[in-house]
Amino acid sequence: MNKALRNPMTYVFFMLPILVLYVLFFIYPMIDAFAKGFTKWNGIGTPEFNGLKNFDKAFSDDKFWHSVKNNSYFILFSVFVQVPIIVFFSLLISNVKKLKGLYKTAVFVPSVMSTAVVGILWSFIYEPDIGLFNIILTKIGLDPVMWLSESKWAMVSILITNAWQWMGFYIVMVLAAILSIPKEIDEAAVIDGANGFQRAIRITMPLIMPIISVVIMLSIAGAMKAADIVIVMTKGGPGGATDVMATYMIKYGITNVKYGYGNAIAVLIFVFTLILTALYQLLIARRSERIEY
Amino acid sequence: MIRSMKKSVSHIVLLVYLIAILYPFLFVLFSSLKTDNQAIASNPFGLPSSFHFENFHEAWVNANISVYFFNSLYIATLCSIATILISSLAAFAITRMRYSKLSKGMFQFILIGMLIPGNALLLPIYILLKDTSILGTHLALIIPYTAGAIPFTVIILSAFMRSIPSELEEASVMDGLSAKGIFARIILPITIPALVTVFIVNFIGNWNEFLMANFFISTDELRTLPVGMVGFRDTYNTNYAQMSAGIVYSIVPVMIIYAVLQKQIIEGLTAGSVKG
Repeated sequence: MNKALRNPMTYVFFMLPILVLYVLFFIYPMIDAFAKGFTKWNGIGTPEFNGLKNFDKAFSDDKFWHSVKNNSYFILFSVFVQVPIIVFFSLLISNVKKLKGLYKTAVFVPSVMSTAVVGILWSFIYEPDIGLFNIILTKIGLDPVMWLSESKWAMVSILITNAWQWMGFYIVMVLAAILSIPKEIDEAAVIDGANGFQRAIRITMPLIMPIISVVIMLSIAGAMKAADIVIVMTKGGPGGATDVMATYMIKYGITNVKYGYGNAIAVLIFVFTLILTALYQLLIARRSERIEY
Repeated sequence: MIRSMKKSVSHIVLLVYLIAILYPFLFVLFSSLKTDNQAIASNPFGLPSSFHFENFHEAWVNANISVYFFNSLYIATLCSIATILISSLAAFAITRMRYSKLSKGMFQFILIGMLIPGNALLLPIYILLKDTSILGTHLALIIPYTAGAIPFTVIILSAFMRSIPSELEEASVMDGLSAKGIFARIILPITIPALVTVFIVNFIGNWNEFLMANFFISTDELRTLPVGMVGFRDTYNTNYAQMSAGIVYSIVPVMIIYAVLQKQIIEGLTAGSVKG
């Protein structure tokens, strides 16, 4: 009966292409980064084993720590600024009757665009002379700001752009969760005399905690991935002020051909991401249990 | 009274958000139709006084946008099709063939890919491509793009194929079809909606990809649109009109796809993890 679907040759034939590519472009590079991270290698000749030297170097490298700090700004900004705004707008959109479809469609648009294009668009807005922000600042009598070329503003500018690009994506996720809550629960609360704010805090919020938890998780993963936006907007500058771990790795690994050190940073990116994911799972995801209606 | 006031406050707040989203697009659209830098510099926010479609011609021909556009189109299409082909074969073997223990392991193994941070792979993949002399050719994007979409695509297609009732293929086995026949004639046609979803999501992802496209390709004629646009900005950072026309070219295809297939795109993109 099941003979046709129990054919080892067919199974191998069906799985082989994907396994070859997957191993070559996921598993092998990961192992390779681990192997080369412990070597001194400039791309020519054979890699020379040098133990933990690269990692020592990274840990005592201020610029590397600065890039780690910038990654953590991405994470903190996503979790503590973006997520509350995402929840706020999701609740708002779920409560309006008119134009709901329009809001839902429009907020998502920036996230289908290339980060490169988003970066260029926003560099118009940050433009010192003709950009929107500086024109507003000068109109209200303040000094113009060099958004992308002054180190104290560059990181903030990138964080705002990144939030602009991805918030709608999460709003749509949270909105879907809100709209799937059975109407009876909300109606019962209305009968009990709860106002809109009370219902949002006491009823909707607890019911959407699981999806908020997913959004936080994805935001953290996303914050660790952000690198293209930095390269497009500031190339890590001014003077490394906006470098994240990945752009720092690129500077060493690809631009300066220090493969050993670059791969050590790749390993650190991998380890940091893993630690964050594990911490998050242990501390937060466990507490927000699945909610049944 | 208070109720309706609250409603209008909500609408005003939402409208402000809407304007914040749409403003950059309108700015670029208007800029692309204005005369030249001067017009933009002296009138950056107003509507164009007359329509200058020659910016689009200039960008397309002189600024090489046509070359970047077709590179992006061909790479994104080819990779999306290739990913679907190999992933649907694997999803079929994992969900429909009778090797449940082995398949479970295979599925878990591919799932690991979702946990590996893509940025950490950039340098080792770069070295791998360099060692095999693929670096600098279109293959340096085509192969990693195709491979990179595997975990997401296999997860979505497996979930879809798993939900197909097994009676269907049992009947086909009775009719004498082989596994390949069942895949090609029974399961694949049923899976078309899921295939469309993953095709679109992968296409958009590949069309937009920047990091690999920026570092794995060094010849101008081989560049993709996002990299070409950034290069254009860095070289002619004062020609806002042409730059805006170029941006319009790179947004239009995804906008058309989004307008037509919003639902599939949202479902597909929210199913995979994307940055934020």
